[in-house]
Amino acid sequence: MNDVLQTAKSCRHYAMCKIDFLGSGLCESGAKKHYVCFYPQGRMDLYAALAEDRIPVTEKCVEIAESCDLCGKCDYQCYFVTEMKPSAVMRALKEHIALHLKSGGEVLAAEKDSILDGLKEIVGEYWASNDRAVALTYAHDPCPMAEPRPPEYVIMPESTAEISAVITLLNRHKIPYAVRGNGSSVMGFVMSEGAVIDLGRMKTIDFDEKNWLVKVGPGVAAFDLQKAAVARGFRVNVAEPAALVCANIMCSGIFSTFSTSYGTAADNYIDAEFVGHDGEVFRLSDKSAPNLFAFHKEDAAIPGICSAAYVKLHPIAADEGAAFVPFASLERALDFTRECAMRRIGLAIGVLGGEYISVFLSPTKKLAAEVKDTFRDKLKIEYLVLVIGDQYALASIKAMGYHYFDNRMIRTLNLGLPSLTSAKWLDLLDEFADGEPFSYIGLKRFPDLAEAALAPSPAQLVRDVDPELRPFFEKLYSRPEITDPVWLNMFRIISSRMGREKHVVALIIYLPIDNKLITEMNSEFKRIAASHGLKNDFGFITPLDDGKRCVFEYDYYLDQNDPDEKAKMRQAMMEAGVMIERFSAETGTVTWIKHVFCQGFSRKESFLYSAAGNEPCPE
Amino acid sequence: MPGIKTGDDGKHLLTGATGFLGSHIMAGLLLKGKGVVIAGRPVGGKSLQARIRELLNWFGIEHLEGLLEFHESDFLKIRLGLGKNKYESLGGRGLPIIHCASDTRFAEKNRAQVMQSNVESLNEILNFACQSRARCFHLISSAYAAGVDNIECPEAPVHAAHFNNVYEESKAQAENFVSARCRSAGLPYTIIRPSIVYGDSLTGRSLRFNALYFPVRSMQQIRDIYLDEIKNHNGKKSAECGIVLNGEGVLRLPIRIFIPHEGKINLIPVNYFTKAILSILERPVNKAIYHVTSNHPESMARLASYAERFLKISGIEVVIGTAAADKMRNPPEELFDHFIKAYRPYISDQRIFKRKNTDRATGGILPPAFSYEIFERCMAFAVSADWGKKLFC
Repeated sequence: MNDVLQTAKSCRHYAMCKIDFLGSGLCESGAKKHYVCFYPQGRMDLYAALAEDRIPVTEKCVEIAESCDLCGKCDYQCYFVTEMKPSAVMRALKEHIALHLKSGGEVLAAEKDSILDGLKEIVGEYWASNDRAVALTYAHDPCPMAEPRPPEYVIMPESTAEISAVITLLNRHKIPYAVRGNGSSVMGFVMSEGAVIDLGRMKTIDFDEKNWLVKVGPGVAAFDLQKAAVARGFRVNVAEPAALVCANIMCSGIFSTFSTSYGTAADNYIDAEFVGHDGEVFRLSDKSAPNLFAFHKEDAAIPGICSAAYVKLHPIAADEGAAFVPFASLERALDFTRECAMRRIGLAIGVLGGEYISVFLSPTKKLAAEVKDTFRDKLKIEYLVLVIGDQYALASIKAMGYHYFDNRMIRTLNLGLPSLTSAKWLDLLDEFADGEPFSYIGLKRFPDLAEAALAPSPAQLVRDVDPELRPFFEKLYSRPEITDPVWLNMFRIISSRMGREKHVVALIIYLPIDNKLITEMNSEFKRIAASHGLKNDFGFITPLDDGKRCVFEYDYYLDQNDPDEKAKMRQAMMEAGVMIERFSAETGTVTWIKHVFCQGFSRKESFLYSAAGNEPCPE
Repeated sequence: MPGIKTGDDGKHLLTGATGFLGSHIMAGLLLKGKGVVIAGRPVGGKSLQARIRELLNWFGIEHLEGLLEFHESDFLKIRLGLGKNKYESLGGRGLPIIHCASDTRFAEKNRAQVMQSNVESLNEILNFACQSRARCFHLISSAYAAGVDNIECPEAPVHAAHFNNVYEESKAQAENFVSARCRSAGLPYTIIRPSIVYGDSLTGRSLRFNALYFPVRSMQQIRDIYLDEIKNHNGKKSAECGIVLNGEGVLRLPIRIFIPHEGKINLIPVNYFTKAILSILERPVNKAIYHVTSNHPESMARLASYAERFLKISGIEVVIGTAAADKMRNPPEELFDHFIKAYRPYISDQRIFKRKNTDRATGGILPPAFSYEIFERCMAFAVSADWGKKLFC
């Protein structure tokens, strides 16, 4: 496989090319034409299919190829996340089509179809398609459990009324459908042989500041909503930046490190608007609305199409900062986390593993690997607990006797990472700790010394970045927010780097912050992945509900293009599932996120605590 | 005191042979043509024999491996973790035992492990010594087991109640435990107490780079941070701290070293330690305690001047007193102060170690004066060995 095809087939579908997270601008054709195929993500899939002769050249292929102006913005975005440069694929796609046309190759026109005509009548001529090139880009994602399923139709309604009419029409013709917002898609949930309803055009964001809420359309991505909220002095609790807010609530409920204080699932919204499977529109606050607050441990179907969510706004204090508290063991990190959550110290808390920290902070794979070793071997940091809070919360952590890296130190560490990996003096820090691990962080003048030693600068950090992109990245890292842990936690733009080396499959569970239980399950996750030769690592833990429960993510990694690794991953996921169910049955306190899917509008209490809703009401 | 009859074949059973002092005792015995039975653990997948072989190569005496016997043992396990037959067979030989294995960490957080290694493990070893009717039990202790209650420290059992750290405390407990058990079992024993041991005064070679080496190493690392900052990153941060590089390549590094009171550091070279031990082992005296120490400890001021010369730095000042955290002059001073915290008691030590028994055993041979030449030799070796990282390369 040549490099271009390899790049095309390695798209992670994290949809980071669909949001302007670097301030470098958005792919013009994608922003205008909305279908996935007009974004770099879709063009990657399309080129791979054309290069492997899996689809013919269609009318849309030509339009897609010609609409790319080779601006190179996708290189900035994709390189930031995966270190790939998709513009080579974009160029290859254009050349492929140009060559095809030049050689007089056939261009397949879309088939005439009365159902399609009906759909077009509802949404407009351009916003429904049965072109195979369009369908292809809605057919698959890197989930190892999902097989490609190209839909017959892709429809892009613009309003709740159009959604309702589309549903009614599809129902009339008994056409199955899947709904998506055109955000990231990695779980294989948004495919259908019938129709895919893409809500990516519905990007309305309406603030109602008096009521501390924002009405969000189903095509709004987390990054865009957070940006709009922050511009007004608010914060919202959102997931990964390219994830669609409504879809995310629907899928599993939104959780982030801020879920420590903002909660998850029903805690995040005030109301929501749905189009039911019968095409009827209802509001969750209607007395006659279905009870989506309840939860049943079952593989549920979506209760309808969420056409708007009324998301809670949260205040931002001017003195917020971050504390990264290092720990040599998971148990100590959990003790600290539990204590903070119980005492309500901090707005956001996350126990982060070495893989997360090193991958998040490093602009390249090579540096990430070196940083991970440095953190573990030299600094003896196995886990970092991130706490975001105001000055009083941060002072409390100090008063509790913990040393931490603050905003300034994190910026120094981040911009000085290359020096950190080669710094001989790091060996001394642990050797001289004198029984008090990480005590050096508590030295008053240590930040000054670290700045002298690491010589932090954007130029240093990006010295291994592709030379062509280096000037852009140097400028990017000169922006204060890119190394500000509070901003980074709100906008989460670096978390997508988890999938830089390989596609990541997240195994997520809710459980008590019980050291024994968590370390046992952590070991089991590790054992299972290791037995299949899969790369794996601890992901994160965030306390919920005053530390009575937490959400725990463990990550397995796979090469999405390696059939052997995919097979191993399927087996590993199955075994992990059995293991989770066993712990769930034995403890009565472990909930697998799989059972929450499609029930993300429920109250968190309904799935965090097994007693809730499991006993019938007395007659 | 009655003399102890040495083993007929001159063989000793040695624990801690992979450590700094133990390995030198082993090498010393081998070079005298004496057999050594090594008891110890494999570590990190490396067998005891492989670990020892590495050391023999380092000493350049791999040809003497034939004088060694290896018994992989765990002193915390019943019968030292040896099988019954092996245990009895080894015990039947009644070899004199040199117990050198030790956990030398100071930090309070390691109390449990230090106590386990230095005190609790003695139980099984002494069971073995008693059951095997070992000809003698030699405990390699520390001069600092004397504690901090008295300035004058005789070669006598410890009665101190206060110690600088858990290491000293564990050594005091170990001494008392050994003497009590040996006395009740009628087993001859000696206690050998070295002070701070550095590398070979003649060659500079060493296997450990703590104690004397730590402050020099940390000063070197701090120097390198600022040299790099000056040479490669405009020197702004250095200048803010008054750190400048003069025309002769000497870095002015204004660092004050705070010591609580006037005192000295008691140093002996490892070649002297080995020589003294071998003399003691030749004619050990039952129940005798030996201070293998220096009668002329060095002042911190002189060591600082040695370090300045060696590292091509200036501005180091030894100050009597305690610095408040907020009175630190600059970041390197604060960091250095933090680094040497655990060693502070040893660089301003006022204890005087009497060494009558040692003088008698060694014929009055004393360790050499700690000159700059010796310092330079030892530090040059340490740097070439990257402070231990390239020891066996």
